[in-house]
Amino acid sequence: MSPILEVQNLVKKFGDLTAVDGVSFDIQEGEVFSLLGPNGAGKTTTISMLSCLLEPTSGDAVIAGHSVTRDALEVKGVIGVVPQEIALYEELSARENLTFWGQMYGLGGNALKTRVNEVLEQIGLVDRAKDKIKTYSGGMKRRVNIGVGLLHKPRLLFMDEPTVGIDPQSRRSILDSVKDLNKAGMTVLYTTHYMEEAEELSHRVGIVDQGKMIAIGTQKELTQLVGENETLRLHTGENVDVQPLMDALKELPYVIHVSASDNMVVLIVPEADDALPPVLGKADRLGYKIRSVDIQEPNLEAVFLKLTGKALRD
Amino acid sequence: MKKILQIGWKDLRVIFRDRAALILMLLAPFAMTVGMGLVTGALSSSGGGLSQVPVVVVNLDQSTLGNALVEVLKSPELSKLLVVEENNDVTAARALLDADQTAAVVIIPVGFTASVIPQDGQAISADAQIEIYKNPSRTISTGVVQSIVESFLNEVETGRIGGQVAVAQLLASGLVPQQQAVQVGMQIGTRLANERGNLQTLILNTRQASVSEAPSFLMYIAPGFALLFLMYTVSLGGKTLLTERQEGTLTRLMTTPTGPSQVLVGKMAGTYMLGLAQMTILITASALLLGLRWGDPLAMVILLLTTVAAATGWGMLLAAFSRTPGQVSSIGMAMTLLFGLVGGSFFGGVMPGVIGYIGMLTPNYWGQKGFNTLANGGNMQDLLPVYAATLVMAAILLVISIFIFRRKGLLQK
Amino acid sequence: MSKIIAIARKDIKIRFSGKTELLFFLFLPLIFTLLLSGVLFGGGVNKIVMVVVDEDNSDISGKLVSLLQSSEAVAPSVLAQEKAQETFDNRDAAAILIIPSGMESSLKAGQTVSLDFTLDPSNNNGLAVQQEVQKAIGQISRSLAVANASTREAEQIQPFTDATQRQAYYDQSLATGQQMFDTAPVRIVITQPENAAEIQSQKETQAAQASAGQLIIWVFIPLLGTSELMAYERVWGTLRRLVTTPTRKPTFLLGTITGQLSSGLVQMLMLVVIGVVLLKVPWGQNPLALLLLLISFGLASVAMGTMLGTFTRTPSQANGLSISLGMVMGLLGGCMFPLEMFPPAVANVAKILPTTWAMMGMTQLTMYNAGLLQILPYAAVLLGFSVVFFIVGIWRFRYE
Repeated sequence: MSPILEVQNLVKKFGDLTAVDGVSFDIQEGEVFSLLGPNGAGKTTTISMLSCLLEPTSGDAVIAGHSVTRDALEVKGVIGVVPQEIALYEELSARENLTFWGQMYGLGGNALKTRVNEVLEQIGLVDRAKDKIKTYSGGMKRRVNIGVGLLHKPRLLFMDEPTVGIDPQSRRSILDSVKDLNKAGMTVLYTTHYMEEAEELSHRVGIVDQGKMIAIGTQKELTQLVGENETLRLHTGENVDVQPLMDALKELPYVIHVSASDNMVVLIVPEADDALPPVLGKADRLGYKIRSVDIQEPNLEAVFLKLTGKALRD
Repeated sequence: MKKILQIGWKDLRVIFRDRAALILMLLAPFAMTVGMGLVTGALSSSGGGLSQVPVVVVNLDQSTLGNALVEVLKSPELSKLLVVEENNDVTAARALLDADQTAAVVIIPVGFTASVIPQDGQAISADAQIEIYKNPSRTISTGVVQSIVESFLNEVETGRIGGQVAVAQLLASGLVPQQQAVQVGMQIGTRLANERGNLQTLILNTRQASVSEAPSFLMYIAPGFALLFLMYTVSLGGKTLLTERQEGTLTRLMTTPTGPSQVLVGKMAGTYMLGLAQMTILITASALLLGLRWGDPLAMVILLLTTVAAATGWGMLLAAFSRTPGQVSSIGMAMTLLFGLVGGSFFGGVMPGVIGYIGMLTPNYWGQKGFNTLANGGNMQDLLPVYAATLVMAAILLVISIFIFRRKGLLQK
Repeated sequence: MSKIIAIARKDIKIRFSGKTELLFFLFLPLIFTLLLSGVLFGGGVNKIVMVVVDEDNSDISGKLVSLLQSSEAVAPSVLAQEKAQETFDNRDAAAILIIPSGMESSLKAGQTVSLDFTLDPSNNNGLAVQQEVQKAIGQISRSLAVANASTREAEQIQPFTDATQRQAYYDQSLATGQQMFDTAPVRIVITQPENAAEIQSQKETQAAQASAGQLIIWVFIPLLGTSELMAYERVWGTLRRLVTTPTRKPTFLLGTITGQLSSGLVQMLMLVVIGVVLLKVPWGQNPLALLLLLISFGLASVAMGTMLGTFTRTPSQANGLSISLGMVMGLLGGCMFPLEMFPPAVANVAKILPTTWAMMGMTQLTMYNAGLLQILPYAAVLLGFSVVFFIVGIWRFRYE
């Protein structure tokens, strides 16, 4: 079966800056594909080109048989876009927004009315359909934002970092929605810089950094790239200066990498079980109280770290 | 006190960085001043007012009176007022007016002179009327042309009737015998015609006011537009209170050791400083770029201080009554325009009639009055009523605002 | 087509979602039009103001003042000496006329009386006032002049024996003269173009000018505000989203234009109706011509707003510029202050503005009873503006 999306050497330059540097990948129908990378990696620029918002400097992409550079109008008819920002008219109600956008997708008459009701049902906002968007909470706005992308029953849905800056509850709700949509057959291209989301949702992940696609594959395939290294997390508690500890642990020969985040020190080691005792011993000798320890199997964060030498969230 | 100034100063900096706000605060009033100066002629050397009214004359009479009227229209005294073009073709002349190329067409008919003055012993011929074909869209211009022609006709008629009355009286009193009536009549007629102007018993003794005394119209317009947009500026200041509330920075401010009064007064101070900065910049720019001087600097400084205080009062009142920043913007703009209209800011003066009285409720009115007084050589003493009115306005409005703010609990939660 | 209408409807809904929009759409234009037309509270802002000091307070001085009051060009204000001088010094009047006490008695005694008339030299209106005053004094004093002349002629032939005889001769001459003036033929006729509307008085002219001028300004500014709408769509991200739908750029632009133009036309029609009903301005004589002019003006304004939108980045920038440009172009177009009074150089330069052409066209409609054919040139120029502005706007249009 031919892929629903084929990206062929997409390049985008803004003056001297190369934002996307020869990215190629494809997506099969029915899968959830994540583009994972830090801020500034080129994810949004890539999606912008695929949405026909930006013209590629070179390269092309074919979506459901249509080229983004030559058949933009046809491409737009088969894709749905959920942008990162809430792109809605605050002075209009949810129903009015959905109706308008449906019209922009060429829907009309009773078919449009029916579809709007279906989407309202799907996003759980039937009761508040008549209220102006500006009266909605952040989470509710996001739901309408997604709803707009679904109106015309697209074959491929682009979701550009839909969970940035929202509360955990809303985030949970969005992730569940993506899974539900996919179960119902929707193909999704999902960009994010949160590893956990990519891990939870995706069939396959493409890791991008500095405009380049540095690895593609299933999670299993990707983690195999880093070998069997494991992650050790030492929770130190609040307001503790961990720098001396980090410096000391770096000296240990089997410690591959040390970093700190969120009141903990993170170590990459070949075997966590073996490394743990001497690490704890060192910490104790330096007077640190380790409150708890986590051991983590290889994950995408580690993959990213291995491939780029930096953390996903630096 | 320090915190109040810090809050105020912060607001001032924030707004001044907003280039969009600067458009309406500084660019618009200055552009309107220059525009008004252009259309009223205050900026040009020829001066303002009605001038160079285009008139077409068709002199079909080609005799004494017809020629005399043309001479009057083309006289040096009227050269600044009228631009006269002669044309032989009535149809062509009318067409010019129909195309709005001229303000009036004066058509002196054939035989006009003959209808007034007997020619070569013949009787006066049938009445002939001078036609003024006027342009309906230029009523002031045509009104003036009409008056000039009517003045001329008046003189002519006075001469004619004067001659006839003189002869009739002489005959009636027996001072002249019947047989000599015609001859005497012609002599008198000629004499009166030559003395045409001197028949008048009411003479206009015209003089011009000395130029140096009269200030340029711009002196009134520049402050007018500055005052117009002052209301916009103070509404911006008041808006910050509601914006901060919406964005959460007000709540944050309240979590610092800063009392609600300090915050409120700080906001007022910010608005005041903003208004003062705007007025100062505009007045200075007008002085430097347009060469305007308003006389006593100290009196002007106090005028600015008190007028801006009154405007600040209105700005705060608006913020007190509004619920959202959007409301402040819209209503603020509406107030800016209305205050400007009734306060006389659009014309650099006081509006006539009842509107003028309504205008007294605005800082625009008093500020304008103050500037006009200064422009005409007034001093601080002359401005005392203005100072008093604006300070009273400021006090009343600020007190009411504070009361409303407190009642609405705008500074709590 | 349905997309165009959908976009237009969306824009209109958004514009009128706030309660304060009606303020700018209807109420403020209404108030400004009424106040500036002189219908409310009087005002004669367009007539040239002069001050008169009447120290004589006689029949003749009264007649002189009422002659001046009936003038189409000047608005005399009778004040006490001090106030009059102050008004003149304050530049609130173009000239000051002083009628000395004892004028009537002196004139009746056959003496010549001189009236002090002071002009403001920097204000050319003074000359116009002078002509009006000249005419007025000529008219009231002509009988006296005739009596004077007659008496003088008699005296030259044979001096009078005494003052009484002289007075009797004078009075007789005066009576005869007055009678002859009363029966004198009318030597002047005022006409205007055949198709001119029945506007005669200055008041009606002012009402027409205010109605047209305010209509132009209050419609022009929000239509320039098309720029603000576009800026908002950029800020909200909805413009970007629109590009991801299968909607072509021309469709979006046409939809925006249609929405703006429709609301602009409705506003214009409302203000026209107000002009007709409240101010008796003859807008309705040629509905087709009126419609043509309004549509072409509306298009020129939206086009300019579209073009402006490509130069401004934020909504508040667009808002500020719309208001500033709208007011300045309204002023220079003759909407606040009659074109008639502009220095000729400025009046010529003003022809590069669409507001000027709109004002001229509306003047033709209200004062000249212009038909479709006469309005065509004005509409053509306005459509020309539209084309130019649209070309620039569309060429420069970017979704980001």
